[in-house]
Amino acid sequence: MSAQTFFIGFFGLAAVWFGVVVFRTHSMVRSALALLFSQTALGALFLSMQAEFLGVLQIMMMATEMSIMAIFMVMFMMDPGGLGEMDMTHQKRLSLAAGFVAFAAAVAAAVFVDWGPVAGVAPDAAQQTHDLGIELLGRSMLIFETAGVTILTAMIAATAVAMPAVKRIGNK
Amino acid sequence: MTTVLVLLLLLAAGTYLVAVLEAWTASGRFRLAGPVVAGIALLGREFIVPRKPDRIFFEVAPVLLLLSALLAAAVVPLTPDLIITDLATGALFINAALVYVLVALLMAGWGPNGAYAMIGGWRFLGQLIAYAMLIVMPITAVVMRAESLLTTRIVASQAGLWNIVYQPLGFMLFFVAAMALAFLPPFDLPTAKAELAGGVEAEYSGVRLAIFRLGRLALIVTLAAAAVVFYLGGWQGPWLPPWAWSAIKILAVCATMLLAGRAMPRVRDADLLHWCWILGIPLALLNIFLVGLLVLVLP
Repeated sequence: MSAQTFFIGFFGLAAVWFGVVVFRTHSMVRSALALLFSQTALGALFLSMQAEFLGVLQIMMMATEMSIMAIFMVMFMMDPGGLGEMDMTHQKRLSLAAGFVAFAAAVAAAVFVDWGPVAGVAPDAAQQTHDLGIELLGRSMLIFETAGVTILTAMIAATAVAMPAVKRIGNK
Repeated sequence: MTTVLVLLLLLAAGTYLVAVLEAWTASGRFRLAGPVVAGIALLGREFIVPRKPDRIFFEVAPVLLLLSALLAAAVVPLTPDLIITDLATGALFINAALVYVLVALLMAGWGPNGAYAMIGGWRFLGQLIAYAMLIVMPITAVVMRAESLLTTRIVASQAGLWNIVYQPLGFMLFFVAAMALAFLPPFDLPTAKAELAGGVEAEYSGVRLAIFRLGRLALIVTLAAAAVVFYLGGWQGPWLPPWAWSAIKILAVCATMLLAGRAMPRVRDADLLHWCWILGIPLALLNIFLVGLLVLVLP
């Protein structure tokens, strides 16, 4: 077994384990940061698959996003510290079924999709960054921009909803 | 392996000098033995653990702070050869490593189960939302000129003209944002001695506090080194050898950062957010636009 295979397996298992931890803890901050480390393990998984730019990007983006999620979880949950031992799971049967179906669908996609010929050697990291840039600003521009504008709209909408009504009406 | 050891030793030496400098800017006394005395004093004290802490966060936070500064330092070149790893995503990797400063401070804030620490930790999250774009966007402009994310290429791209002259606006934004990232005064909101009794540091003592403070000093050195690589031509300079130029520039940036904040009152978190988003981000976009024009127009 090569070192690459070992690390891919290791970080894959780490990602799954931290994903499990998200639901095993009672503390909202622990839960959010466990999700962060699950995503960081995915970033490390990318790195061990020689996708350097994607790996570093994943490790960078998730740290900010999950930290921000942590404060939202603390604000909105009734027992953020977890001292009351609130159960993190609900609708167990439905969740189990949904989880199983999603897992089966992912496995089916992995097995049955024709992925084309497997690349023998990954291009070097600088070339990958270059190719990714060309892809994002070329063929994938529309998807990229649609996603960007959708997120921006959601951000503006969320900010508008969060602003107190008094200020919006104003009394000047 | 030797490169790693040499760079770690240099980082330790830099950290020590910055500790001396910081004590000097704060108290006016220049004592070379000061950090040693302070370190021994910290190790000699009782290691207090607060009641009902989140033990994992409490123990991990100081180590994570130090680790993120060290990881970021791994892609910063002191000479063309003196670099731990010249990653093809170097400029991005510095960011990725330094974001974990936020995670460390959140852990240090939440872990000890204390009000002051918690306020300090969440404050730093707000601070990140203010400064983060002002770190990333000026670096984007630097990368645009170098046409590479490799830190050594970024230094090489400044051979004719340093970026501090080529894109002064970017340098100013990056400098301020770096001070906010290292929570130096006047951006020391998460620690704020006067109002939060130390904030995220408040519940730490003994060896954990020593590691926390070491991590913070290493962070200042790493950020100064990053500023030198991105804007001050890295190791370039006449007469002296490259490593000497790197060392002089890094210490000069550290001293400027430490001195700049001393005369200013602490910025309120809401004001910091306001100014960073109303003024900082438009200026950073303008900087990207101007650099884009220069890259196209100049040969």
